[in-house]
Amino acid sequence: MTMLKVRGVSRRFGGLTAVDDVSFDVHEGQIKALIGPNGAGKSTLFNCVTGFDTPHEGSVEFKGQQLVGRRPQVAVQMGLARTFQNTQLFDEMTAHENVMVGAAARHAAGFFAAALRLPTALAQEQEAAATASRLLRRTGIEEWADTFAADLPAGIRRLVEIARALATDPSMVLLDEPAAGLNATETAELVETLRRIRDDGVTVLVVEHDMGLVMEVSDEILVLDRGKKIAEGPPRMIQKDPLVIAAYLGEESDDG
Amino acid sequence: MRTVRALAPYLVAIVVAAGPFLTDDRFLLKVLTFVGLNALVIVGLALLFGFAGQVSLGHAAFVGLGAYASAVCSVRFGWPWIVGFIAAGSLAALGGLILALPSLRLKGHYLAMATLGFGELASLAFVEAEPVTGGVDGFSGIPFPSIGGFEFREPAALYWLVWAIVGIAVLLATNLTALRPGRAMRALHGSELGALASGVDTTGIKVRVFVLSATLAGLAGALYASVVGFVSPSVFTVGSSVTFLAMAVIGGTGSLAGPLVAATALTLVQYLDALIPGISRDTARIVQSFQEDVYGMSIVLVVLLAPRGVSGLLKRLGSVGRP
Amino acid sequence: MQCGTMVAELLQFIIAGLKSGAVYALVALGFTIVFGATGAINFAQGEFYMLGGMTGVLLTTWGVPLPLAVVGAVMLTAVIGAAFELVAVRPIASGDPLRIIMVTIGGSVVLRQAALHLFGPDERALRPFTAGPSLRLLGAAVERQTLWVWAITAMAVVVLAVVYRQTMFGKAMRATSIRRDAARLVGIDASAMVTASFGLAAALGALGGLVVAPLTQTAFYVGSGMGVKGFAAAILGGLGNPVAAVGGGLILGLLESLTAGYLDPLYKDAVALVVLLGVLFLRPQGLLGGRGTEKV
Repeated sequence: MTMLKVRGVSRRFGGLTAVDDVSFDVHEGQIKALIGPNGAGKSTLFNCVTGFDTPHEGSVEFKGQQLVGRRPQVAVQMGLARTFQNTQLFDEMTAHENVMVGAAARHAAGFFAAALRLPTALAQEQEAAATASRLLRRTGIEEWADTFAADLPAGIRRLVEIARALATDPSMVLLDEPAAGLNATETAELVETLRRIRDDGVTVLVVEHDMGLVMEVSDEILVLDRGKKIAEGPPRMIQKDPLVIAAYLGEESDDG
Repeated sequence: MRTVRALAPYLVAIVVAAGPFLTDDRFLLKVLTFVGLNALVIVGLALLFGFAGQVSLGHAAFVGLGAYASAVCSVRFGWPWIVGFIAAGSLAALGGLILALPSLRLKGHYLAMATLGFGELASLAFVEAEPVTGGVDGFSGIPFPSIGGFEFREPAALYWLVWAIVGIAVLLATNLTALRPGRAMRALHGSELGALASGVDTTGIKVRVFVLSATLAGLAGALYASVVGFVSPSVFTVGSSVTFLAMAVIGGTGSLAGPLVAATALTLVQYLDALIPGISRDTARIVQSFQEDVYGMSIVLVVLLAPRGVSGLLKRLGSVGRP
Repeated sequence: MQCGTMVAELLQFIIAGLKSGAVYALVALGFTIVFGATGAINFAQGEFYMLGGMTGVLLTTWGVPLPLAVVGAVMLTAVIGAAFELVAVRPIASGDPLRIIMVTIGGSVVLRQAALHLFGPDERALRPFTAGPSLRLLGAAVERQTLWVWAITAMAVVVLAVVYRQTMFGKAMRATSIRRDAARLVGIDASAMVTASFGLAAALGALGGLVVAPLTQTAFYVGSGMGVKGFAAAILGGLGNPVAAVGGGLILGLLESLTAGYLDPLYKDAVALVVLLGVLFLRPQGLLGGRGTEKV
């Protein structure tokens, strides 16, 4: 089944076309990677897919429903969660509380129920706390549960954000550079975590710079360059694609 | 240490409840009743500023709206006090909703400017709408609060009425902050993007908190009108809103206790001459004429030096031993 | 003849509207410039308007000739604005707009109170820039000072446009307002640009306060009301767009004056708030389109 169906998405900033007529599919149960040189438009595309930005043209269908024009929290409630390149944790809350915020995403109990401590509110509170503990265990960071997010090391922050996204009970997660700032051991553990997420039945779309990780973990790769899709296919094919090699060589010569 | 912290709210509640037994000074009880009225406003502002990170420069106008609404209901329409009290809260809530809906859909702090405009306009309207408000001369002859057949006319009775309502508000607000809504508020204050990505309806939360805080201010206004018996437009200025904001800012973020302590302290300063027997009238007048300077300066200093305010300092003291 | 008086009446309202509108435009420009540099709303902007008028009055009572007093008051207020930024805004290293807003709110109270202590609670007026009776235009009266308001506003806008388009300083300001981090990369001192933006915004506000002081009295408390109106004008045009800020100011002035003339003068002060809420609700990018007020 097609989980995410992106068709003809374009997003411009002034005269610059950051994403140019991009179409692709993500199938259920896949780990798909989105790669490309710096400034290729990966994050913009991510924002357009998750409701944080609105494309000028094109459509984004998630589980058959149109996403363009919906607010981000609606996408989350439909089962599409995400993380950020610059982790967006709540610094003055503990790791456990951070994940609890995600766990309460689909709860209905509002101000009234909470102020009066109605049984529904208390039951959902317990459920959220249990979900948060379970996901901290699942991502292997339960020993950090009571640490304030501001005091967490960078690698743990990434995992807390992933746990928070998973706590919303998504069908699909979009991870924006989850390996940035991780050391080799942590990256190896991340690969395991990504596989476990997929084995739990959650589809994954990941933006990543670490080629080793991308080649190892993904079922399919989508390559963007200067806002355009230049290749799509399994890792072995992408490695040999002349356009992709050219795009990356170009970037290296620009840098140095 | 832990037990002291756990017991503190109960001890404070007992001391507050016992107030009229501890003193029979009628003036002091009046002053402490005013402290309670400000505390009621500050409970709402602590949620709005300290938890949800939104700024209001118009809360004195909501207090005024509530005061005039309850005055009109009881004097002009002859309705029972409780009806006016509820009407005051509802009118303030409606006003809050009208301001919040346009301003809070957007990123940035347009709410602060909208509330400032509302505050400026309301203080003009209270003066200009003379047939309703009594204009500059104010609105007088407002009866004491009464529920059923009981009229709260003794200072002790008024004290208990006001503080009972404050107590209920604090209890409800504590519950709110301890559960999902409180986490959602702190989340959107911490990172709006992160909150959205976690499925938090950030606009909905902000609008609800703002309406709630406006309602509490309106209720405080209704109580104020019937405690004093007289409403003058000079009380509900933007200057008073800044005072409220200063109490919330100095009190600090993420806490109800800090802002309540700040509200108590800053309200008592306003009655300095009456509370400290030896102080000369001139000294008190000078202190009071520089009050607003101090509020403005404290907002700047707290934001620059201790963004988490009194409650942040308290927490830091309490968490010295934390790993 | 009836028709003639109606036209004269309308013309009179339009003149009055464009007069206050020009002042709103100057204050709105101040908001736009600071918003461009910091992404935050400067709540002290109205106080700069107040300080301009009040220091101008003070200087003339000391016997300083009027033209010198006007220039002196503008420069003094600009210095105060820049100093305010250095003392209170710059220490906020994160540049968090909420904290900048809070600091400018606190700062505006301090400036207002300082004016109260220094100048006293009374309303003051400045001498008209040129003495003489009003001029006549198709049956409507135009005070000479109104011509000064227009002339000085127009001059300020032209000078600002030239500075922004032609000078290195202006280009650096524009670059900073588009992207702070990128500006820094190409060697622009972004924090100096922020200081300059506060100085410039203060100067424009002060100019507004000075040109209008002979027509409407000024006092220590006029700042916050003018702040709201100037901001409503800025957002009506589209926050972050200087040309639109001027348009927004003129439109707001006209709306107010027509409301006062044809409905009831009592409603005049409500116009700005209605405009502010209406624009935020219906067209957050402003009538003339700016880049501010993004949706979440």
